[in-house]
Amino acid sequence: MSESTMKVMQEKDLRKVTSSQKAVKIAVQFMLYAFLILMAIIIIFPFYWMLISSVKSLSEYRLSVPTLFPREILFSNYVEAFNQANLGRLFLNTLYVGLVSTLLSLVITVLSAFAFARLEFKGKNTLFALLLATMMIPGELFTITNYATVNAFGWMDSFTVLIVPFLVSVFYIYLLRQNFMQIPNELYLAAKVDGTSDLKYLWKVMIPLALPTLISITILKMMGAWNSYVWPRLVANKEEYRLITNGLRNAFTESTGDVNIPVQMAAVAIVSLPLFLVFIFLRKYIMKGVSRSGIKG
Amino acid sequence: MVESKHPWKAWIYLAPAIVLLLIFTVWPIINTVRMAFLEGYSSMSAVGGMQYNFGFGNFKQVLQYKDFLSCLTNTMLLCVLTVPISTILALLIAVCLNAIRPLQRLLQTIFFLPYVTNSIAIGMVFAAMFNMVGSAFGSENEIVITAGIINNVIEFFGGTAVNWINAGSTYWANITVMVVYIVWNALPFKILILLGGLQSINKQYYDAAKVDGTSRRRVFTKITVPLLSPMLAYVVITGFIGGFKEYSSIVGIFGDDMGPTGDPRRLNTMVGFIYDALANKQGRASAAALILFGIIFVVTMINLYVSKKKTHY
Amino acid sequence: MKKILLATLLLLALCFNCVSMVACNNSNVAPEFEMPEVGYDGSEVTINFYHTMGANLREVLDAYIVEFNKLYPNIHINHQQVGSYDDVRDQIKTEITVGNQPHIAYCYPDHVALYNLAKAVVSLDDLIASDLEVTRADGTTETMGLTDEQIADFIQGYYNEGKQFGDGKMYTMPLSKSTEVLYYNKTFFEANNLTPPTTWDEMEALCEKIRQIDPTCIPLGYDSEANWFITMCEQYGSPYTSATGEHFLFDNDTNRNFVARFREWHQKNYVTTKELSGGYTSDLFKAQDGTRSYMSIGSSAGATHQRPDKVNDAYPFEVGITTIPQVDPANPKVISQGPSLCIFKKANQQEVIASWLFVKFLTTSVEFQAEFSMVSGYVPVIKSVGQNEVYKNEFLDKANGGDFIAALSAKVCLEQEAAYYTSPAFNGSSTARDQVGLLMQKCLSADANGDVAAMIKKAFEDAVAECKYQAD
Repeated sequence: MSESTMKVMQEKDLRKVTSSQKAVKIAVQFMLYAFLILMAIIIIFPFYWMLISSVKSLSEYRLSVPTLFPREILFSNYVEAFNQANLGRLFLNTLYVGLVSTLLSLVITVLSAFAFARLEFKGKNTLFALLLATMMIPGELFTITNYATVNAFGWMDSFTVLIVPFLVSVFYIYLLRQNFMQIPNELYLAAKVDGTSDLKYLWKVMIPLALPTLISITILKMMGAWNSYVWPRLVANKEEYRLITNGLRNAFTESTGDVNIPVQMAAVAIVSLPLFLVFIFLRKYIMKGVSRSGIKG
Repeated sequence: MVESKHPWKAWIYLAPAIVLLLIFTVWPIINTVRMAFLEGYSSMSAVGGMQYNFGFGNFKQVLQYKDFLSCLTNTMLLCVLTVPISTILALLIAVCLNAIRPLQRLLQTIFFLPYVTNSIAIGMVFAAMFNMVGSAFGSENEIVITAGIINNVIEFFGGTAVNWINAGSTYWANITVMVVYIVWNALPFKILILLGGLQSINKQYYDAAKVDGTSRRRVFTKITVPLLSPMLAYVVITGFIGGFKEYSSIVGIFGDDMGPTGDPRRLNTMVGFIYDALANKQGRASAAALILFGIIFVVTMINLYVSKKKTHY
Repeated sequence: MKKILLATLLLLALCFNCVSMVACNNSNVAPEFEMPEVGYDGSEVTINFYHTMGANLREVLDAYIVEFNKLYPNIHINHQQVGSYDDVRDQIKTEITVGNQPHIAYCYPDHVALYNLAKAVVSLDDLIASDLEVTRADGTTETMGLTDEQIADFIQGYYNEGKQFGDGKMYTMPLSKSTEVLYYNKTFFEANNLTPPTTWDEMEALCEKIRQIDPTCIPLGYDSEANWFITMCEQYGSPYTSATGEHFLFDNDTNRNFVARFREWHQKNYVTTKELSGGYTSDLFKAQDGTRSYMSIGSSAGATHQRPDKVNDAYPFEVGITTIPQVDPANPKVISQGPSLCIFKKANQQEVIASWLFVKFLTTSVEFQAEFSMVSGYVPVIKSVGQNEVYKNEFLDKANGGDFIAALSAKVCLEQEAAYYTSPAFNGSSTARDQVGLLMQKCLSADANGDVAAMIKKAFEDAVAECKYQAD
């Protein structure tokens, strides 16, 4: 498969194409698409499942033999989702927390990754190793201590408590550091000779070059706000700070304790739509690539 | 790398991250270590005024657990199987996506969809695909109501249905399902990262290769992979770290019992053990976490050592 | 490499240094409750109440908070849904460590055992026994504690659940309860001249008969394996657990024998369970074609899930509900489930008293209990609800196996009021429950390699060992 991929990469530049080469080309293209489409179907399946579940009735959803296509399509789930949960509020809260924490987190991540990738200082490798080591302990163990900490800070029931504790992610610092290290060092040396300041270099050269990775981080961080559940429930249970997942779980729990998942899925689909559109927009930047952004090595 | 004229400058860049990490990560870790060495520590009883002795009792209890070895084997096995498979698949998909013209936008969009899919939906799909509903499966007078979508496909192609996850299923059938599920779960993230990494490779390298008339295989092995190697190293190393912490995916398929009906805890992992203990045996959970830390640490060192040799920066 | 090693050593050294600094930091235990001489002094307090109520139940609760505030305008009730029962437990468990726990919470007995490790729950005995008079805003008075009539009005099995903690003290008040009932396909039973079984022996004979009528069916589905095991222990009078002394007593001959018997049933396709069948057994019960079952033992609160979907505007069959089979029908035993309320210790004793007044209001108000039951499908905890006009006329009297199936279920539950039992609660009782459920699954389905008794013996020993390890 790898060989065929390269074939395609060069395809457009082959000046003369003989008929046998043409046949190979078509075969390769076919395999390539077959592979991608197969993987796409596998990957899209849960998304499809979310959509069909959102229009099923609760009793159809609970069937032990699930239906692949709903027997009857209930758009009433969407109406109910809209009416029951305070979707607007939940959405705005989540958007606010998502945007602020993404923004702050990007700044911190970029600065740290730059220090690790380009600057030289004593104890750098030791510090980096320590950072990596913190990833190796299951984070669930931190909850009780962090709860005591934010309580001591008086941060209970605020947006601060939802944003600040998770601003730093070693996971992303590491990712961006790797990406920065992909950028040839000669660029930095040249900038130094020109007398460009580190910050300017970072802003003008590194960030544009690492844009695809930064956007990946943005997407992951935003989705983090969308999916977080345990921590927000623990520290900010007041209506005015409630985030989407907590709000949805609470809104669609039946009196017997069963969650009305079809309605919940409908609500998720509603609030995911704007997010999805933003991602489609950002995708362009991920795919744009370096050569087209006009920076020469 | 260049020696900066102001070595303190680096620390300013790092200051925000370090301060936050000290408060919200390092401090909890210190607490974890403390709890690990207080014998029989439970945060509830501690509030109630119970005192604890300092010692290695928690570690001893963890190691004495009758299923400790099975937790460890499951963890390692899943890690060793899923990380390479998901990395290679993600690399292939990313490279292919980068190489096609028609349908490119549509396919890319599809590979983005997992990010807006609710996590509950992901768990449900798998249960539906592998679950077999019926009774007394495996005995002579079995009654099978549905064999699940995967088995329907297998039967369509003339195979016999496999009991994947239900009562009486084999260990390797369970592991196969877990590997497929974990790989599937990990793919979107890895594709995203590698796609981003691919886009950071300067097209001039390819142009140069073209001028030289380099073969495709050589372009892939000599340009794409080396230039992508920092990202590949990242994906593999973080994959291993995450893989050793595997837990929620198993609960997603097998429920809290972490095993097929009739054989609970068969697929229990280290973090599964930690979770159980975390309910009221925080000392024991912390000790297990430190043991796990030791294992991950050694593996990561090996990974770093290998990747340092192979990574091209 | 060297540096990384060094770094870790450094980190560990740092940790050890701090151990001594933080070794004793927790002292958030609230003071023991002591009844002030004046009782409730009318002071302004805000009471936090955690529960798991869905939107429809919160509406009922809100309506009765308004009623309560007519009597006690200075007691502000601030209630919130905190996800599931487990979520409530985990939330409070964390909050107790810094003294942030609510005043009142939905609880199961094992939750209270956990909170009590931190000595966080108020024992209700002094409050219940108090004969202080409390003056209410409308000029009337009430006794702080419970009168003998009020205590007698509680369904005894439910009330006694609050005393299952081994120290003889009362820690919880029942709010609303459910149990297990036997749902059966009444239409099928009548067509084939069958009667619902009252004993397990009758059940066995009935299953055989039904298998002859419909050879592809599994006559009985039992949703919860754990409930099945615990209920059988109770019906046989054989030990299960104890709140004091040796906790895990369920490894005995009687228990091994009934498990072996049910294993045979399972192999003859007489019975299946939720885990063994891979889905809710109510799905088999409701099924119109293929493999189906004609009886289902499940939660009384889930009656509507046992009702088949309408076909052409009519239910395909009528559902009958009755008490589950017994070992000794003269001495019936059925499980009691569903939320109780517990009150947490607070520095301000007025908050504790205000919490009690509210708990007392919810658990003894006939109107609230009636309405809560009608909306939720749970059973009221006081008997006099059965005589309530609205509850009787609008609910119980309309009971049938179709549209009013929830009422039918409640009716059956109220009629068997003498049969409710509760299991001892201690730190580790939920582990025992989990383990016997898993034990049932294993013993019914596992390959015995020819020696069933040995397999069952080993499974019991493993379950006890696991319980002991978790509780140790």
